[in-house]
Amino acid sequence: MEITRTLEPPPSFFQKMRRVLGKYFWGYFFVLPSLLIILLFKLIPLVIGFGISFTNWSLLSSPEFVGLANYAKLFTDPTTGKVFGNTFYYSFLSVPLNLALSLALAMALNQKIRGLAFFRTAYYIPVVAASVAVSAIWVWLLSDFGILNTFLTSIGFHSLNLLQNTKTALTAITLVDVWKNLGFNVVIFLAALQDVPDELRDAAKVDGANSRGIFKNITLPLITPAIFFTAVMGVIGSLQAFDLVYNMSMKHEGGPARATSTVGFYVWQNAFKYSKMGYAAAISFALMAILLVLTIIQWRMRRKWVYGEE
Amino acid sequence: MTTTAIETSYKPKSKVTFGRILVYVLLTLGALIMIVPFIWMLSTSLKDQQQLFAWPPNWWPHPFVWANYTEVMTKVKFGLYGLNTLKITAVVTIGRLILCSMAGYGFARMKFPGKNFLFFLTLATMMISSQITIIPNFIIMRYLGLVDTHLGVILPQLADGFSIFLMRQFFLTFPYELEDAAKLDGCNPLMFYFRILIPNSKAILATLAVMTFQGVWNDFLWPLVMLTSPAKRTLSVGLSYLVGQYTTRWDLQMAGSVLTVLPILILFFLLQKYFVQSIKMTGLKG
Repeated sequence: MEITRTLEPPPSFFQKMRRVLGKYFWGYFFVLPSLLIILLFKLIPLVIGFGISFTNWSLLSSPEFVGLANYAKLFTDPTTGKVFGNTFYYSFLSVPLNLALSLALAMALNQKIRGLAFFRTAYYIPVVAASVAVSAIWVWLLSDFGILNTFLTSIGFHSLNLLQNTKTALTAITLVDVWKNLGFNVVIFLAALQDVPDELRDAAKVDGANSRGIFKNITLPLITPAIFFTAVMGVIGSLQAFDLVYNMSMKHEGGPARATSTVGFYVWQNAFKYSKMGYAAAISFALMAILLVLTIIQWRMRRKWVYGEE
Repeated sequence: MTTTAIETSYKPKSKVTFGRILVYVLLTLGALIMIVPFIWMLSTSLKDQQQLFAWPPNWWPHPFVWANYTEVMTKVKFGLYGLNTLKITAVVTIGRLILCSMAGYGFARMKFPGKNFLFFLTLATMMISSQITIIPNFIIMRYLGLVDTHLGVILPQLADGFSIFLMRQFFLTFPYELEDAAKLDGCNPLMFYFRILIPNSKAILATLAVMTFQGVWNDFLWPLVMLTSPAKRTLSVGLSYLVGQYTTRWDLQMAGSVLTVLPILILFFLLQKYFVQSIKMTGLKG
């Protein structure tokens, strides 16, 4: 007995695994590597982050449990109110503006236009450009001696300090966001518009519909899924705005006077500037809660206005 | 010749109307607003300090000042940043293509207990925003001793819910006959994956590759938090520091911006088809 056992080659790791898992081996073999990454860097962090939000951890000392203190502070810290307000402004300005402009552009491009490829490429260039470079370019364009202000002063106006003025800085950054991301929605809307069958429009024309009626009753309903998708993505993206705010505010301070600080920026600042990990985590979970609620509301409303969702 | 014949036969019956001219004018104006800032970036990057503030603006630098680029490459090590960025982006792209295509195949074609739950979990992670994970991930990396390493930047990005979803949707449509035939020929699933599935999924893989490459190349917040020593920086992080350090050297800032943007723009022009495809694919998510 002893001899036969030694003659048999020892089962390799894979063979052992296969014997244990049997016919399910290959399924797990293919999905586990990805799931491991997702578990380690998405799901476990979710739990850890939630835990941290109940502590006053500064990374230097060991964390102390502080209960709901960080969440309570959300309501008393005036800066938190300010950054949430700024973020909502950012969202409410950028999302509808982006949707309206990109839809208009896509409809213009959908009219059997010549040079379609050129226009689409042009509108898409800012989307692929790094947000840091985009920030640098616009800070230079809008700076005191930049091309915009030199032009204004040359025709007798005062120079506009858009990024240094508390009243205009956030709007300026939001508009740069729209400029940068417009092309993404243009491509989505263009694809959706191209999917609207010509026969439907032709039939309506035969029935005597005018172009406004065709748009309102045929085109618009058929592209509502695309509008829904871009709206959801837009809200999620803009509520997390960080790159442009960080890079377009002077010395990365989210100023002037907090005028351009967004929630994403304040999370970063608390965590990695002020070493208030607990408070930063609490803010990020508050933001996540708002995102979840908004997304659920959007999905609920989807049934009312998105075509094909009853 | 045939192509031109086809094109002319499809030529829209365009009547030159006021409305049509207006559409072209507005589209051109819009395109200019999109492109001109980049031309100004390029132009500024080739000027010396005297030329920067000239009025009327000088679009064609005279003379061309290439010194800005050498300065950015030597003083601020943009060459090194480029290599760092390329390394991180390439590893994440290749890794994500392999891992997510594997998982997509598993979820699309394999049977195993807990599959639906695990797939649901994968999809649900798409809702977890980066603001949430950035703090705990930084802390995890601290424990693993991976802060200020490229590996630390790379690891969390190797797999994501959306890419897995995308691959799964594609593999669901893959013909079953091929799989059965391969099985009869004694192919195990791994051989099938490498010899048949992957070679026949080039378009979708290219689309995912382009999408990932662009995202990781331009990624800012995570590398900013993770990479503390100057020599490890990526282009985006390096450019951000450059802008902060040389606040009035617009020429240097724009040279750095060109170096950050140019590689991805070249890639975009070469692989436009896949870029456009990748955006349409993100529309699947809705």
